[in-house]
Amino acid sequence: MAHDLSKPYDYPFDVASEDEIRFRDAGAVDGRPAGVPSSYDEGGSTRWTPEAISEVHALAQLGRYQVRGYNTFNKQMPTFDDLTFVPATMTRLPLEGYRESCDTTTVLGGGRGLVERPLELKIPIYIASMSFGALSASAKASLGYGASKVGTMTCTGEGGMLEEEREASQRLLYQMSPARYGVDLDHLRRADALEIVVGQGAKPGTGGLLLGMKVSPRVSEMRTLPEGVDQRSTIRHPDFLGADDLAVKIEELRIATNYQVPIFIKMGATRPRFDVAVAAKAGADVVVVDGAEGGTGASPELLLNHTGIPTMSAIRAAREALDECGMSGKVSLVAAGGIRSGVDAAKCLALGADAVMIGNAAMVALGCNSPRYLEDYQALGTSPGACHHCHTGRCPVGVATQDPDLEARMNPNAGAERVARYLTAMTMEITALAKACGKSSVHNLETEDLRALSFQASAFTGVKMAGIDRAYDW
Amino acid sequence: MSNAARQTDEIVIEVGQRHIREVNQDIMAACATGRPIRVVNTLSRHNLGVGLPDNVDITFEGSVGYYCGGLNTGANITIERNCGWAAGEGMAKGHITIGGYAGMSCGAAMIGGTIHVKGDAGPRVGVAMKGGNIVVEGKIGYQSGFMAHAGRIIALGGAGESCADALWQGEVWVAGGIDSLGVDVDVIEPTPEEVAEVDAILDPLGLVDSSRNWRKLVSGQRLWYFESRDASAWLMI
Repeated sequence: MAHDLSKPYDYPFDVASEDEIRFRDAGAVDGRPAGVPSSYDEGGSTRWTPEAISEVHALAQLGRYQVRGYNTFNKQMPTFDDLTFVPATMTRLPLEGYRESCDTTTVLGGGRGLVERPLELKIPIYIASMSFGALSASAKASLGYGASKVGTMTCTGEGGMLEEEREASQRLLYQMSPARYGVDLDHLRRADALEIVVGQGAKPGTGGLLLGMKVSPRVSEMRTLPEGVDQRSTIRHPDFLGADDLAVKIEELRIATNYQVPIFIKMGATRPRFDVAVAAKAGADVVVVDGAEGGTGASPELLLNHTGIPTMSAIRAAREALDECGMSGKVSLVAAGGIRSGVDAAKCLALGADAVMIGNAAMVALGCNSPRYLEDYQALGTSPGACHHCHTGRCPVGVATQDPDLEARMNPNAGAERVARYLTAMTMEITALAKACGKSSVHNLETEDLRALSFQASAFTGVKMAGIDRAYDW
Repeated sequence: MSNAARQTDEIVIEVGQRHIREVNQDIMAACATGRPIRVVNTLSRHNLGVGLPDNVDITFEGSVGYYCGGLNTGANITIERNCGWAAGEGMAKGHITIGGYAGMSCGAAMIGGTIHVKGDAGPRVGVAMKGGNIVVEGKIGYQSGFMAHAGRIIALGGAGESCADALWQGEVWVAGGIDSLGVDVDVIEPTPEEVAEVDAILDPLGLVDSSRNWRKLVSGQRLWYFESRDASAWLMI
């Protein structure tokens, strides 16, 4: 029945008072009027989050991008926790986790049969390239001794060969970055492998960064730099441009080292499906793919947060690329970027890596972010567990610094032992999972041993979704 | 060069289509004898004479490809004609003479010693060099001296575009025209004392000429720093 709109409607009762209508009755709470969503207090904008507003305020004050160390803060990155292992049950037979052995020997760079001394590591983990400059000399030596104790390797990083590290590391990977700091034929020949860096996961496409506070007299001498400059390194190599030239460069390094040691190519993960194939074609013995979660001593923050692809996705793409060109077995694949534990490492192996390297995790084992010297964390505006101030050189615990007083806060002998124990524990974690999956070698872990707990992880890796046993597909 | 003119105790090594590893092994074995070495039929092959030791006198007949004399640690190397990219890259010590033209990145990242190019040189001469001298009788190509840490690039026949781009403490000396300067370059009229230092490098090469109008290019140091050298300025705000 249509109303007659010409006549106002009257309730058959009195209109309530305005206070009653507006919930201003006896139960009302001051300052919390009904009808105002809690998000009005909290800020519900998905665009203008408190972080986004702070970022504008920071840029508006600084007139430059923010620089910091550590790794990505991008919340959209998947974590290895998005994957779970599916151990042997009825269709597969597990090994006795507490009793049976599981081989962890890892050989890198022998696949082409070109070099006299492929790297034989006792575990599938080594210490990532972190330079003297980014880290203190004691930290570098501690990493070396710790790695030696468990039969694995460290890497010089881009700052040249530190004698303390050569002394400490039974196996040392010598890095040649585009800037070629401290390159010396004698050092090349004393190295156990050479690495040509074309990028890193934390800031692919951009060269290294070391702020002036860390360019100490010794660092400046090793890098032939004026003391205290903000070292912003090149990203293009001085003597090759593309893959065809790189192939010639690799041959040059083989001649210079008399075909003794493997040649690595390290890259940030961006287009691994193609980049890894090209690196294999160029003649690398080992390809290192460093995912976007990889750490760094200093970087423009935007590059940390907004460049590169996740490690888990890069590994699958890299392995498939090697399979497609028939180079699996000839070229070793190392994965890195955001690996925090043996569990993460085992997942990388299952996804297709032959070995992994750890950077941030090894620093944390040395004492990074440990709850000591709280007042110095506070001076940096941070606290243990949240510190990412490697770039300032004021590391409260003496790991990422060139200040002798701060450096002295890390007992190098204790640091070495912690690194050794951490690597041992990681290896136990890997073997525990491998044995549960019925593998007598950690290198037998395979993608089939994994299931994804999120669509995202399944889509990134091709790992089957838990339960339904099909990869998320389009 | 005719056979008659060759030194009698010279060791001759043929390149041709042999595996480059084998050629270099022969070169290293010859180096150990202390006798002069002549490498013939080079066919512009890459990676000839890499990582040579001190007290070696070696001549490459004809032209060579990439990285000839790379990582040299003291050898006296003569390339009779042209060379490809990055001759003498990473060289620590020694002397390289290039009779003709040099390709890109001649003396890239070298640490010490001298490279003497009689013709022109391609782009990026002395890129990332850490020491030593590169003398080019002709013109140096674009972006020469890019991020040179130390050492001198001396161009007697002018320079291409973007010359001396983003230097650290390296110097680029140019006699002749400069097509354009790179970023953060200061152009300095050198003092007579500085000219004398350069002439001392040119003298053994027979290249001193007092009539040259030198320009010395050094870093303007504006790219050396962000705006602050103070750690506290780098805390997140």
